[in-house]
Amino acid sequence: MDMIIQQVINGLSLGSVYALIAVGYSLVYSILLFSNFAHGGFLVIGGYICYFALRGAGMGIWAASLAALIGAGISAVIVERLAYKPIRERTPITLYMLIASMGMSIVIENIFVVTVGGRFRALPPVIPTQPVNVFGLATTSAFDLLSLATAVVFLVGLQLFLSKTKWGLAIRAASYNLRVAGLMGVNVNRLISIVFFVAGLLAGVGGIFLSVRYTLYPQLGMITTKAFVAAVIGGLGSLPGAVVGSLILGLAEMLTAGFISSQFRDLVVFGLLIITLIVRPTGLFGKSVGEKV
Amino acid sequence: MENATPILSVKNLSVNYGAIQALKGVDLDVYPGEIVAVIGANGAGKSTMMNAIMGDVPRAGGEILIDGHPLPARSFLVVTAGVCLSPEGRKVFAPLTVYENLQMGAFPLKDRSMVAEQIKKVYHLFPRLEERQNQYAGTLSGGEQQMLAIGRALMAMPRVMLLDEPSLGLAPIIINEIFKELTEVNRQLGMTILIVEQNAKKALMLSHRAYVLQTGKIVMEGNSKDLLHNPEIEEAYLGGKKK
Repeated sequence: MDMIIQQVINGLSLGSVYALIAVGYSLVYSILLFSNFAHGGFLVIGGYICYFALRGAGMGIWAASLAALIGAGISAVIVERLAYKPIRERTPITLYMLIASMGMSIVIENIFVVTVGGRFRALPPVIPTQPVNVFGLATTSAFDLLSLATAVVFLVGLQLFLSKTKWGLAIRAASYNLRVAGLMGVNVNRLISIVFFVAGLLAGVGGIFLSVRYTLYPQLGMITTKAFVAAVIGGLGSLPGAVVGSLILGLAEMLTAGFISSQFRDLVVFGLLIITLIVRPTGLFGKSVGEKV
Repeated sequence: MENATPILSVKNLSVNYGAIQALKGVDLDVYPGEIVAVIGANGAGKSTMMNAIMGDVPRAGGEILIDGHPLPARSFLVVTAGVCLSPEGRKVFAPLTVYENLQMGAFPLKDRSMVAEQIKKVYHLFPRLEERQNQYAGTLSGGEQQMLAIGRALMAMPRVMLLDEPSLGLAPIIINEIFKELTEVNRQLGMTILIVEQNAKKALMLSHRAYVLQTGKIVMEGNSKDLLHNPEIEEAYLGGKKK
């Protein structure tokens, strides 16, 4: 019983970090209708900024995290301006942006390989990882609880931003129809920049926690594949779907690791993806809103 | 009617889609307080003209003036300059509520109390929208969606409202209702309206003046009443002469 509760907490914790990544990924997809494969790069950028702010600049964890989030957000905006804006202004075909994003993903990864090297780095022990007893039911690590709590805070924050603010409303409208949102007087380029900033920032949060969990290296962004799978299971473009898909994935991974073998983790993850695509290709919360003509 | 300078003035506007010339030098004026109709067959370039005014389709040549000043070429600046469009096919935001759709229409307004005031005005014109304000726009009937699209275009307090095919896909009885409400919008709010329609008869009955657009060119213009009884128009757009 202890074991189950413990693995469930671990699974939710991992799933919540996937959710931070998947939600930003889904947000970009819902506006521009392409899979941004450079999304993992934002996570790596956030991780490295945090690492060097802590190690090099001697900042505290709060200042370093803040720098990492803003840095990841801004780099996402820059990637959009450099690589995607010129394409979307010339053609409505989103496939070209998808290809550009693969290129940007390689560019970001290699910028780190060239400048700081490909070795694995551990963040200084700024995030507590000691074991914690959960109501006498199970033992888990403080890190898992902390990453779960942080993810919840950011996801709730995102939800508030989308439901309560003017730009949040505009983003929801644009995710239904970007062109018509522009006809309402929304500066579409600014809206897209805001979306990329938010997506990059959330990826930055995920990057910090993943660097602590797995150590930091230029290819850490590959983990985005998992978030991508989660977003597809939840229904691409749907934010609640991305969260639910991520939690399902995190739980599936941790329960597999706990009760079967950790070598089967990825098998289960991609198995779930294939089952989803066969049974329900639009995902759990996939869009199927009808429009009256 | 033709006392002041036109609010909206389109001069020699042309638009190309690749090698195809969709608009070949369109001239058109809209004066304050008027309803101006542009009628024409499918593919004549009516929607293209609207989208070019809105900055949604790049202009290949010519100019567009609002109050004598050049109208910007980017959509959001066109809206800020006072031109709003109720697009073809309504294009309401289906997953947003009626109320949120109207809020979106008011996006350029800075003042919250002004937004509330505009919403009140729209609800006064279309009481049905108030009844359904918390309903998702996707669940409305076609006629209600058209009302919402018109209300949404009114939210930003435009100087000119553009209407693209408001009768599209609606039952005749609903079309009558919508057109009656448009007369009210024009009368009560003094709203200047430019409307493009395939339903030539309805559009000519609603409007003060009209233009006939044919394969990207204005081929005729005049008072709507005159055009309504013009034999050529009757033949081409109103289903022939009644005997």
